[in-house]
This record gives sequence, structure tokens and C-alpha cells, in this order.
Amino acid sequence: MTGVPLLVGLAAIAVGGVLGAGRRTFTVGLLLQVGGACAVGVAGFWTLAVGGTLGAGFTNALRPSLGVDGLSALFLGALGLVAAPALTFSLRYLPPSPRGRLVSVLTAGFLLVLALVLAARDPVTFLTGWELMTLLPAAVILVARDGDVAARRTVFTYLAVTHLGGVGTWVAVLLLAREGAFGTHATIATGSALQVGIALAALIGMGTKAGVMPLHVWLPRAHPIAPAPVSALMSGVMIKVAVYALVRVLVDWVGVLPIWFGVVVLGAGALSAVGGVTYALFQHELKRLLALHSIENIGIIVLALGACLILRSRGSSAWSAFALAAALLHTVNHAVFKALLFLGAGAFERATGSLELDRLGGLLRRMPWTGGAFLVGAMAIAGLPPLNGFASEWLTMQVLLRLPVYGGVGDGIAGAVALAVLAATAALALLCFVKVVGLVLLGPRRGAGTPGEAPAPMAAAVGVLALGCVVLGVAPGLLFGSLVRLAPWGANAPTHAALRLPGTGSVPGIGIAVLLVALTATLLLMRGRRVAAPAPGWACGQLVEAPLNWTSAGFTKPLRLVLEVVLRPRREITVRTEGGVVQEVTYQGHVPHLIDERIYAPVARAALVVAAHARRLQSGSLGMYVAYLIGLVVVLLGAARIGLFR
Amino acid sequence: MNAATIAAGAVQLVGGVVLAPLLPGLVQHWKARLQGRRGPTPVQPYRDLRRLWGKSAVAVEGTSVVYRLAPSVVAASLGAAVLLVPVAAQAPDWGLGHDVLVLVGLLALARFAVAASSWDTGNGFSLMGASRDLTLSAFVEGTLLVSLAVATLVTGTTDLRAMIAGSVGGAWSSPLLAIGAVPFAMVVLAETGRQPVDNPDTHLELTMIHEGPLLEYAGRDLAYLQWAIAARHWVVLVIAAQIFLPHPGGPWWQLGILPVALGLLCGLLAVTETLVAKMRLLEVPRLLAVGALVALLGIAARLAGIA
Repeated sequence: MTGVPLLVGLAAIAVGGVLGAGRRTFTVGLLLQVGGACAVGVAGFWTLAVGGTLGAGFTNALRPSLGVDGLSALFLGALGLVAAPALTFSLRYLPPSPRGRLVSVLTAGFLLVLALVLAARDPVTFLTGWELMTLLPAAVILVARDGDVAARRTVFTYLAVTHLGGVGTWVAVLLLAREGAFGTHATIATGSALQVGIALAALIGMGTKAGVMPLHVWLPRAHPIAPAPVSALMSGVMIKVAVYALVRVLVDWVGVLPIWFGVVVLGAGALSAVGGVTYALFQHELKRLLALHSIENIGIIVLALGACLILRSRGSSAWSAFALAAALLHTVNHAVFKALLFLGAGAFERATGSLELDRLGGLLRRMPWTGGAFLVGAMAIAGLPPLNGFASEWLTMQVLLRLPVYGGVGDGIAGAVALAVLAATAALALLCFVKVVGLVLLGPRRGAGTPGEAPAPMAAAVGVLALGCVVLGVAPGLLFGSLVRLAPWGANAPTHAALRLPGTGSVPGIGIAVLLVALTATLLLMRGRRVAAPAPGWACGQLVEAPLNWTSAGFTKPLRLVLEVVLRPRREITVRTEGGVVQEVTYQGHVPHLIDERIYAPVARAALVVAAHARRLQSGSLGMYVAYLIGLVVVLLGAARIGLFR
Repeated sequence: MNAATIAAGAVQLVGGVVLAPLLPGLVQHWKARLQGRRGPTPVQPYRDLRRLWGKSAVAVEGTSVVYRLAPSVVAASLGAAVLLVPVAAQAPDWGLGHDVLVLVGLLALARFAVAASSWDTGNGFSLMGASRDLTLSAFVEGTLLVSLAVATLVTGTTDLRAMIAGSVGGAWSSPLLAIGAVPFAMVVLAETGRQPVDNPDTHLELTMIHEGPLLEYAGRDLAYLQWAIAARHWVVLVIAAQIFLPHPGGPWWQLGILPVALGLLCGLLAVTETLVAKMRLLEVPRLLAVGALVALLGIAARLAGIA
């Protein structure tokens, strides 16, 4: 019965998108889309809860068919959960100018395409949706940043990298379809070259789209330049659709993979997690920092996915299902808090005109609602109890702890190392978001102007998402039970509000939240209101003045020094002297992105060199081309003569 | 609920809340004796708390609600941590469970609150301490989780009650636990802010780590923060005593041996502080990495069937 609200919701998004094109109907169109997104979200989670399926099942035939099962329903639910606030936010964020209206129309199309990928039940529909999913955000960025040359170049990089990587998706999906394994497992032999080949192709193709390191280069470039609601959708949903595809292929369709493949996935996850957060730490632009944190969180999801594959190969189907649930729970959680943070960043940019971390500051007092919600989101992404980020990171740690218990030496040690990496990642994320909260929300105002609270729809959008962070953190078990049941090999877990795993600890979210709030309130009461008269900060006798304000670079300096060997930060100090007297000292420091510099830059240079040589073939003279053709025919005839084609 | 559970609950509450300040007091007292000074009496932390309780807090100009809430949040997280860490295998459930990873989360929450309050005041020395603390915490948490992986490998669980029950033994029940004790000892040094990681006696702002972010607080706010430091000693030392050190089975024996074990650990901290100088900040991650490597080797040995 949940098919009706789903279809109605999608229809409302489509109609709303069309209405959004008109100047008068712009607001009505967006409101209709909000309603549609809500319906899609509710229908998605409802289908997941009752465990039903809608529409067609998977087919290897090349004819379009659409349907929804539990896994698709979960991601459709997440789509609605992110899209509804993002569209509400757009009500005041997007101007009703021609450009804003075009962005709104394209956004509606983007939502429908995401739903198309999730509901695709045959290879052709899937691949069509997959390509459109890449192209539409590119179009949105080009429209929203019309005339921005740098943005155009970035979009080109985005398209080039995702299409190159996307070859893997095509190879994997078409091979699966050839083997009749699109939608069914147990048709491909375990450990065969075909199975590993499909899995590797999927990891590369879908990993690129998800932003797994070292295939992530497009992500920190493309996400920040999109309009805030579209950034929220890209980080919150689009890269999650790639996770959806990875889960389909690796966990279900290719069957049980060899253990080493699970370790490879684990390694990719660990690299993404720690690499993403490390480079995020050294950013000074809020949205770029958030984009790099998407890589970190995708890394955590992939870590859990790797644990799922290893545990399954080791024959522990229950823990393998828990690992899958950990990955999926973190997917939903990350969608919620990352959408919140991107929308918050959009509101701050609207209010202050800047996203430079060192030019914000003091926004919690000026924008209490938006700022408060942003604080909740920052605490959630930093993995603090009792918020949702903590729940899924706890679950991921639990499944990683099982790797040494069930595994051999290799995968056991890999699990322990991954565990340490995840713990370090969580601590670094805390460092990063303390910095963000401090520079954006707290302390003195660092930029010009006196920003005020965001308009009601924008504040409401981030507020609802903050509420989502709290609810999913306090009662993660409500979703967990349904997620465990999504494992294709059939697993079960009872549904509690608390997270409980058999034979180990538990997270009673409600108890923790109630106790923390009660203790804090009691302590505040005991503290009383007796305070001395307000005075400037003591700062050991210094006056805290603007030039003494700490910066983003200063706060992360200890880490930069500790990791100097790995990160190789650069700094340049130029001293200008006149007649032996120092006139001016300028300091420039920056942390280069090693994967960009060491891998992608040489590859790009080599590709350009090869292209330059290849261009010589295109002389433009007709005689030359005729010679090429004759040469080709001669070569082919020769090949046929010696029997190459037999 | 039997008598042992009630007794364990009482020890947990009284010990964690009331007796916790005695632990840093004892360390300071013994350290002074070892260094040939008379030093403060072990109850000095209580006197400090009483003095602070009678004073007014300060209101720093231009700060937000974060500055005012932070001390209470820190003390509440540590209060929850005290309720979460059982002192014996039989312990009452206070509604928090007993999961050790939740404890890691609660300690992180306290760290977040302290660091955010430093940003709120904008005091450079506070921020210096906070940034160092958070930088080191990345390595501390990595090492902590590896040492907990060792304990989980032995006991099969992250529930602290079951971990205490599963690691019972006159000598170390499993050589693996002795190996896990090495990285956990380093974590204890870092979490309690002791030399060679941090120097709790320093009054030079530039060298502070854990004390730095407290600079802008006074009165009851500071009392909460000081108590939280003491409670942190309690939490990590109880885990060290009841899981990584040899301990007997049976709740009464476990409760009886706890004061002895805690006293021994405080003595060890005092000796370490006397013998070892403070390390350069940037060297500390190496120390912790060595600890993590020891634990990983232990896990490898166990999985290869050697240990």
C-alpha cells in the first residue's frame, strides 16, 4: 500500500519542478516539491519497516522495469529525509530570478533521477539513471555559477573523473547482466576471476562516484561550488546512491567474495576515513572542509562494508549482517548531519557573504537557531554521544572488534589497524569540528557586518535536521532492526530503542541522553547564578585583541607538525629589507594534497603529452586521411591473411 | 539485586564521586616525598574544591552560552562515566549500560566542551592547550582502541562487567592482557595528564596541555572542572586495575583488592613522574605508536597461535 504515497510524492516533485519554472508559481512549486519529498521519505521508511516490495523485481533483460525493495526503500527514505529540508531551505535561499528558477527545476530533475537509480530494476534503466545522476548536478553548477571560469573548469574535472571512473560501473553492470546476476546472487563462482573482476570494476566505478580515496579528486572540488541545497543533496544523497550500488554488487550480486577482497575494501575505507579528515583539517573554506568530511564519512561506511565482506567470508552471517547495518546506519546518519551542515553553511554565507573560516565568528549569538542547529550537527559528525554519529561509529567499532575474534592473522590485524584508524579519525573529526564551531559560531565577530538570524524556512530546515540527529542518536535501535533484516542471506535482530548486540555491550541512547541532561541541569542549578561582574577575558594578563585572534591554521599547527613527515606542508617566508632594516615579513603556508600532486598531476600531464602527439595524426589534409584508410585496409587484409581472425 | 551488587554500586558512587579527588592528591603527595619535599597532604584537592566552591564564578565579556554550559557538561559527562565504569563484575546498571566504547564517547564529549569554551573566550593560551590536547587525543584514542581490542580478544565483549569477569586470574589469566597493559598504561598517562605527556604542576602557560583551557574559569565552574580531572583519574585507573592488572574472581575480593590496586597505581604514577621528564610534545605520538604496535604484535601472536 506504500506504493501510492511514493508515486504521489514523485509526481508532486515532478509537477512542483515544472511549476517552479514560472515566476508566479515558483513558491507553490517548491512547496509542492517539499510535500512530495516528505511523502517519498515516509513511504520509503514505511516500506522498509514493513519489509514489503513494490513493483517489478530485478531482471537481466534489457527492457525498462521499475520497483522498490527494502534496500531501495531505505535510500528513498533518506532521499526524502534530506530533500524535504533542502527544498524548504531553497524557498528563501534561491532567488525567484530566471537563474534561481532554472536551478530549482534542475534540482527537481536531480531528485527524480536519484529515485530512478534507486528504483531501476534492469541494467539499462540503472545505467541511464547513473549517467544522468552525474550530469544533472553539473548542469546545476553551470547554471548557478554562470560566467565563473574556475567553476566551469571544476565541472569539467568532475565530469572527466567521474566518467573515467564510471567505466568501472558499466563494466561491472554489463558483466553482471551477461552472467544473469543482475539482481540474483549464486550464479557466479566464488573466487573466480570473473567474480573478482566484477567486484574490482564495481569498487572503482562506484567508488569514484562515492568519493572513496584515492578516487575522490572530484568531490572536494565539485561539492563546494554548488548552491547549498544542491551541495546537501550531493553529499547527503548522491554519493549515498553510489554506496547503494556498491552494497548491491559487493554484498549481494557477486556472492561471497574472497577474504583478501574484503581487506582491500577495508583498506580503501581506512584511507578515505583518515585521509579525508586530515585534509579537511587544513582547509579554511567551510564548504570545502565539509566536502572533505564527506570523504571521511564515506570511508567509515566503506570500513563497515569491508568488515561485512570479511565476516561473511569467515562464515559469521550474524555479525556480517550487523556490519552491513552499521554501514547503512552511518549512511543515513551522515545524510542527515551533512545536509544540516551544508544548509547551515549556506545560511551563514547568505548572512555574512563569506565562507572563509577566519572571517566568520560569533554567529551563535547573532543567529541562535541556525547556529544552535549547526552546533548539534557539528557534535553529531564529531561522533559525540548521545547524537546519531556516535551510534553508527559505535556500531562500526563493534564490528571491527569482531574481525580479530573471527578472523585469521591477516584480516584480524587488518581489523585491529582499521579500528585504531577509525578511533583516530573520530578524534581528528572532533579536532576539526571544534575548530569549525569555534571559528564560525563562538568568540568575537571576525568579519565585517552585523548578520542576523536566517529567514524562518532556512532556520526551520536546519532545525528539523538537528532534531533528526537527536532522534537517530537517542533511538538508533528503531532503524537498526530493519537494517539487519536487509542482509540478503537473511538475518534478524530484535527491535529496541537502544542499540544492542548479542554477547557484547550496548548503547542505551535514551538512558545516556536523559542522564546527561539531568546531570547537567542539576550541576547548573548547584552552580547558582553568583558571578563576578563581566570583565574582559584574562588571557594571563594580555588583552584579547583582534590581531591576537587564533586562526584555523594556528589551531591545527600541532597536528601539522606531528604529521610533517607524511603531509609535507610548505611554507614560504619572504622578508623585505631596506638598508638592513626589515620592512615587511610575509608568511605563506599550505598543505598540498598529496594524492592530487603525486598521482593525478603526473597522470594528467602524461595524458596531455600523449594527446599532443596524437594530435599530429590530425593533419587536416585529405591525402593523409586517404592514406590512413588504405593503410588500415592493408593491415586488416594482412591480419586476415595470416589467420588472426579465425 | 543481591548484597554484592549493592555494595559494588555503593563503592562505585562513593569512590567515583567523593573519593576521586584523593587519587591526584595521593600522587602529588607521594611525588613530593619521593623528591624529598614535604609537599601537600593527600587531601589538598578537597581543600582546593572547598575554596573554589565559596568563590564567585566569572563572566567573561563577549562569551556565549557555550562558555557558561561547558563546566557543567564536562562534569556531567564525567559523572556519567563514573556511573558507567563498574568496580566489580557485579554492578548495578544505572541506565547507561557498561560499554567501554560509550565511555570513550563520554570522554570525547568532555573534551569537546572544554575546547569549545576556549574558543568562546578566545584566550590564546587556552586554545593552545585545547589544540594540543585534541591533537594528542587522536593518537591516544587510536592506542586506547587497540588495547581494548586486546582485552576484547581475551574476553569477547566490550561490556565492562563481562570484561572484568572474563579477565579474572591470580597471575595474568592470559599473557595477552599483560601485553595489552603496555599501551593502556600509556593511555593512562595521557588521560590523567601526567609526565611524560603533560606536567600537572606546571604554571607556565606555554607548556600547559590539560590545565590551559581552564585558565578563564573561576569559582564553582573551576571546581567542576577540577573534579572532572579527578574523576578521569578514577575512571581510567579503575579500568586499569580491574581489567589489565591481575585481579581475583568473586565480588567481595574484587571490591576488597580495589583500594590496594588503586594505591599501587597512584604510587606507580608518582614514581613515573619522578623518574621521567616531560617529553617534547611532538614526541608523544611516537610513544603512543610504540604502545599501539606492542598491542598489534600481541594480537598477531594470539591469532598465529603463539600467545
